[in-house]
Amino acid sequence: MSDNTRATGYLPAWLYLALVALVTTLGIAIAMALRPAFANSVLEFLHLQATPQAARNSFYAVRVAPLFENHCISCHGERRQKAALRLDSYAFALRGGRHGTVIRAGDIKHSELMERITLPPSDDRAMPPEGKTPLSPDEIKVIRLWIGAGASPSIKVAAIKGAPRLVRDVAIPNFDLAQAMRQRATLAAEVDRLSRRYPGLLSYQSRNSADMELDASSRGAAFGDADLKAFAPVTSRLVRIDLSGTGITDASASLLAAMPALKALRLANTKTGDNLVAALVPLKSLKSLTETGTGATQASLASLRARGVTIYGDGDAK
Amino acid sequence: MPNETPNTRIEVWDAPTRLFHWSVVILIFISWLSADQGYMKVHLASGLTLLVLLLFRIGWGFAGATTARFSNFLHRPSSIFSYLKALVGGSKPLHAGHNPAGGLMVLLLLEVLLAQAVTGLFGNDGLKFSGPLALLVSADMSDRLTQIHSLIFNIILVLVWLHLVAIGFYFLVKGENLVGPMVTGKKHRAHVPEGVALVFTHPIVALALLLLSAACAAWILF
Repeated sequence: MSDNTRATGYLPAWLYLALVALVTTLGIAIAMALRPAFANSVLEFLHLQATPQAARNSFYAVRVAPLFENHCISCHGERRQKAALRLDSYAFALRGGRHGTVIRAGDIKHSELMERITLPPSDDRAMPPEGKTPLSPDEIKVIRLWIGAGASPSIKVAAIKGAPRLVRDVAIPNFDLAQAMRQRATLAAEVDRLSRRYPGLLSYQSRNSADMELDASSRGAAFGDADLKAFAPVTSRLVRIDLSGTGITDASASLLAAMPALKALRLANTKTGDNLVAALVPLKSLKSLTETGTGATQASLASLRARGVTIYGDGDAK
Repeated sequence: MPNETPNTRIEVWDAPTRLFHWSVVILIFISWLSADQGYMKVHLASGLTLLVLLLFRIGWGFAGATTARFSNFLHRPSSIFSYLKALVGGSKPLHAGHNPAGGLMVLLLLEVLLAQAVTGLFGNDGLKFSGPLALLVSADMSDRLTQIHSLIFNIILVLVWLHLVAIGFYFLVKGENLVGPMVTGKKHRAHVPEGVALVFTHPIVALALLLLSAACAAWILF
């Protein structure tokens, strides 16, 4: 369905393409002028502008960044950038968002961030928005002092006088009892069966948790690989296991390797060795391993140590 | 036809294809503006309308007029390359509907807009608005899809710019107005290959397809 004719246009192709390049460049320049955040990211990408970095012990790093972390970055961070604004680094904070810079060094009055965090919660423009935890007066004061002192990336904590004392938040996790009960219900039959067969070995970690602990150390050598295998239906919930002095061997390696929630494992004085240790390496939750009196060698334990697992024991170089 | 002159106009685009085209132009603008200004209900409405129209256009690519059909404008990469080579070489291969490069652009835009509409269904704005299907995925996944939604918008901007550059190229370099025919449906005889036979589908089919698309979208959402 095609035919050919000669071109009869107004411009030669080269001139048109040159115009397109010019208009494209002009468009990008206008966008950069209207959106400083875009301009900064382009300039930094082209290495025409250095990315500002805050010093580790600066007022920003110690006092301001944690406030942004607690109150702002859920909407203005790596995962989500409302209004194209990020506050998860000094460079991003200074860069601003879709509507321009939000922090003007030394100019509290014209820093939009200051304006937004001091608006009454009922105001549509107030930040954090309704439903999120607002900044306390002390927290607002910290940010005000920092911007007033030039929003510096390097000014030290001691150099800004009058800042409220640093209060460290201690997060207490919320327990959802109903959820724990629902989770327990899914394995209730198995837990009941195992509790009857192995009285006193299996317990929940707390009243509010569906996570479980298995302590077979009291059974001694009578508790072997076949017994551990009986606990296979509840492996997804086992977080601590004490098999010290039991009769388990490397034959249990694959079963232990299939325990994604396992945080602590005690294998002291068992006939386990390098094969079992190697099987534990992929377990991301594992935080500690007690291996005193086992056949595990330093070489095999090294890979667990490299992963940040704390090893208790002698790592016998047999 | 014996009475035809180069200025005779021949109908090449059917009304549903033209309406789809201009509706998408308007909806992309509304979607951008509403998201930028935080009018998320408007954004949702324009996004859903866009989804319905995209479903319609996919169906119309099989049931519509000759020039609306995928089989008419989707070409092998080698054909697209040959077409571009001829174009750069100074000749102007004629096509009644989309040329091979234009066909590729239509395909890319349909895919990207569909991806945009679908990711929007699962997205959220981090405050009070969530897409109608956001609850079907985890919060993490919803956030990830929201990021992809933002990223795709930049791809749409690039494609729209390329689209405009191509239209300008045809008008200023090749002397062919592509916008006019997309409004009136008619092209000058001189821009249509000899002996081309176009078949048009009855508008009632388009209406039925549009209702079916709306029903499909409603079924997905509710």
